[in-house]
Amino acid sequence: MPPDQLFQIANPLALLGWLALAASPLAPRAAQSVAIAVPLLLSVLYSGLILANWAGAEGGFASLPDVQLLFASAPVALAGWVHYLAFDLFVGAWAVRTARAEGIAHWMVLPCLMLTFLFGPAGLLAFAILRFTLTRKILP
Amino acid sequence: MTLALPAPRLAVASRPNRQLLAITLITALAAVPLIAALALDPRSFQGDSVWLKPLKFHLALTVYTGTLTLFAMLLPEGTFSTRRWRLYIGLVSFCILAEVVWIGGAAALGTASHFNIDGIWGTLYGLMGLAAVTLTSLSLAMAPAFWRRRESPLMLGVALGLGLTFSLTVPVAGYMSSNLSHFVGLPVTGARLPLFGWSAEVGDLRIAHFLATHAMQAVPLAALTGNRSAVWAAAAGWTVLVLWTFARALQGLPPF
Repeated sequence: MPPDQLFQIANPLALLGWLALAASPLAPRAAQSVAIAVPLLLSVLYSGLILANWAGAEGGFASLPDVQLLFASAPVALAGWVHYLAFDLFVGAWAVRTARAEGIAHWMVLPCLMLTFLFGPAGLLAFAILRFTLTRKILP
Repeated sequence: MTLALPAPRLAVASRPNRQLLAITLITALAAVPLIAALALDPRSFQGDSVWLKPLKFHLALTVYTGTLTLFAMLLPEGTFSTRRWRLYIGLVSFCILAEVVWIGGAAALGTASHFNIDGIWGTLYGLMGLAAVTLTSLSLAMAPAFWRRRESPLMLGVALGLGLTFSLTVPVAGYMSSNLSHFVGLPVTGARLPLFGWSAEVGDLRIAHFLATHAMQAVPLAALTGNRSAVWAAAAGWTVLVLWTFARALQGLPPF
């Protein structure tokens, strides 16, 4: 399947996971299952993309220009995008789980989920700040 | 004759109010990524980094709610945690977060937050004025609880300081917001006062705003004398200082 088409599949798949997390108070266990299953599926896709395309790709991890060169290959760039999708959602699921266990209201977590969905680490930071403010905890 | 000053009773009567402490912590910690942006972003707005203004607001709001948190600790447990207070402090916290998101968002887009009346920003500016008055009203709302214990110089100082913060800030800041500039006059050289960055050349309304808002810290300091008259004098003196800096700015003159 061409990278374009896989991209069109990966995005709604991730969105499904985020919607499940947003609505998680309705069915917490089901939401967690979806929000873990989707990153695992995306991880399968990622692994396949890397196994199939890594050898043929130029560039590497050693310098910023190397990384940019890596992303010049469409399937490798897709793998990078899927990496974001998978890990962001996994982090979102962790935030929802942690908030639930520590009694943080879901509506306060929603803006953090939104930020994680759009800007990954900024959402993680926002949740860490919220969690520290309300529970004085940082460590998992 | 020796001058013996009775030490003011600084007895902490309660644990920190959960909501006030939370909004203080969150406003302070949310400044951390802004400091990173300040270091990384070369864009400037009116001669300063675009991130300087958001950082100033995070600092100011942290000091504001932090001071309120400390003051509340002087009163018995639960004074500000009845259902009505919880709702009200929740609303104030929402207004504070809305302000910093608005100011930070405008900075990220490299545009003005205050005095910006273009399209949607104009609507936001009006709403944020409402939010600013709401968040400032907390100082006035908390004042009566201290006023009831005004036989203590410290309680008197806190009550007067809180009352003045609201009563002086709202007209000064209200005038500044309708002036659509913090300057009165047009700076030519751009000379500024150190640290604060206020104009040393033309009228700058931010000076009176700053002093008005900090009445709540300045007036209670007079309670260190242990003398209620000194506290009243400090409240009067601070009011005169605010009015004087306001009048100077209105005339288009720097404070000195």
